[in-house]
Amino acid sequence: MADPPPRTLADVLAGAVGPVAVPADDAEQIDHLRLRLDEAARAAAAVAGWTPDAPLRLTKGVVTWLLRCPRRALAPPESSGSDDVVAGLIVDAAAKVATLVPQRAATVEAAVAFLVATGDEGVADHLASLAPAARAALLADVGTRVAQLTSGWPAVEPDWWPRVEEPVRARLADGAVTVGGRVDLAFGGPPTSRPAVLVEVKGGRWYDGMRADAHLYAILVALRDGRSPSAAVTVVADGTTQVEPIRPALLAHAAERLDEAMQVAAALAVGEAPAARPGPYCDHCPVRADCPAGTSWRATKVPA
Amino acid sequence: MTSATRGGWDAVGTADRLRRRVADELGAVLAAGPVGVGRVHVGWVAARDVAGCAARYRGQGEDGWGFPGWSPATAAGAVARAALLAYLDDHERPGSGAAPPPAPLGTVRQWMRSCRDLSADGVAGWVAERRDDGDAAVLAATAAGASRWLAGFLRVMGWPLPADLGLLNAGQGTLTWRPAGVAGVSVSGGADARLGRVSGAGRFSLVVHRPAGGDDGAVEVRATFEAAAGALARGIAPEAVLVTAGDTGERLRLAVDDDVLAAGGGLVVDVVRQRVIATERGFDPADATPGAACRHCERALECPPGQAWLHGPGHARGGLPVGA
Repeated sequence: MADPPPRTLADVLAGAVGPVAVPADDAEQIDHLRLRLDEAARAAAAVAGWTPDAPLRLTKGVVTWLLRCPRRALAPPESSGSDDVVAGLIVDAAAKVATLVPQRAATVEAAVAFLVATGDEGVADHLASLAPAARAALLADVGTRVAQLTSGWPAVEPDWWPRVEEPVRARLADGAVTVGGRVDLAFGGPPTSRPAVLVEVKGGRWYDGMRADAHLYAILVALRDGRSPSAAVTVVADGTTQVEPIRPALLAHAAERLDEAMQVAAALAVGEAPAARPGPYCDHCPVRADCPAGTSWRATKVPA
Repeated sequence: MTSATRGGWDAVGTADRLRRRVADELGAVLAAGPVGVGRVHVGWVAARDVAGCAARYRGQGEDGWGFPGWSPATAAGAVARAALLAYLDDHERPGSGAAPPPAPLGTVRQWMRSCRDLSADGVAGWVAERRDDGDAAVLAATAAGASRWLAGFLRVMGWPLPADLGLLNAGQGTLTWRPAGVAGVSVSGGADARLGRVSGAGRFSLVVHRPAGGDDGAVEVRATFEAAAGALARGIAPEAVLVTAGDTGERLRLAVDDDVLAAGGGLVVDVVRQRVIATERGFDPADATPGAACRHCERALECPPGQAWLHGPGHARGGLPVGA
């Protein structure tokens, strides 16, 4: 009987300790994707005028918003001061602490201290700014999420080369377009003998759109390493774990999204008015007050 | 005319000429300025800042010009190199056999655990202090940064490492050039490794590893600076500088010739020149070169060119129009 598919990060790591099984045409497919993206980037740069000195810099957030709501893609960076954002950062940091220091409990306090040590004092400042009751409520909520996330966190063998916040970037069209980000947790990959496994940690509730972030990182890692990762795992604080084997079709889909995002960005760069596409995310949009489409959508939606 | 042809590379003579030329220019710059410029150490960060915006560099003042002190961010590379050096030392002992690639996190943590001497120089002493204080968060953040650095370095360089690779700035002290007759000025490079043996033949390259870099335009400037700083500090010019990028996996190789060294020497002199000007008139927005660094500049509010750039029409953020 065939083994059941992996459902958790522990399953993935336990099931992938053998020699790397790289499909024979993996390198060829990655070269094809690289060429395709490079062509798309050159075409978009020719329209928008991006150059290596003044490039288009895409990140997972920018790609997401260019495709979901271009109006939002041009909004100022989101404030890191909301409870939701702070909770997400703490959960994310807790997963990193659990990976880096498995012998100690990855508590909320340890996660906040880790963030401060890395130079991010925004979370600690936000907590300090709250009234005692609000702070206690937020910490209780985050504590539950952290406990949920870390309760099944695996002890990672050193040979997996665990890395946190691993930078990955692709330079396209000779640097006129760059696509970059930091993988929350990365394991294996060259020059280890193990396949690359990427982990994205999410502090909120699962929704299907989360998968796109991991797909984007999978293609960036494939382009960097010349070898596809074996799996992308999205771990969510609500208890959801999404394990996705990296198939060629998935990388091709991620490339299509990137291509489309570059085309949207090029149109915006030459002055096209950004389309506003309202949706549930309007409630948290930093420009919701100035967005008629979003205001209208929010007024008509049925309260949950 | 160039003497630095690949066939007849006079590495020692070339470096000697560079030393004389840079020392002369430094002497002239200091002689033309006021007394009291003080000590000026020229490293890559200062050279980069001056090349980016002279006004911003001058505006940083004494607090910004010096080493900011050890932190997880500043310690990552130093810890990674020291840990790798220790690993290589352990595995190059006779009879140790072919070494497996060092698992970054485990290798870094093992080295950090070995740091017990509070009076040790450099990053080892700082790690020992943090351990003595029981500062688990800082130690974890340092291990994270160092293991990230080390993983990227090994990924780009491959394993086993090239047989002629030697680590630099790995706790053995930093080579520094103090030009004769120019009081108070010192220059050192920040290369992470060398490829080849450092000898009068000059058949060696310097390696600079960037774990991540958003500013690709600075890569060639970095290589140019390291070529000159390496030649000044060693008295032997390298034949090339290799810049590796952990995030993209790319390598840029800059062949060193007289033009590269002259440009790198110019970066060194520019730092001292700006310190002289800083003594004379401090921050002056008239010398600003507005750009992306304006977003993080502490003097941005007092800098009309910077404000114009930040709020100008058509100004893009990462290639996209702002707030359209």
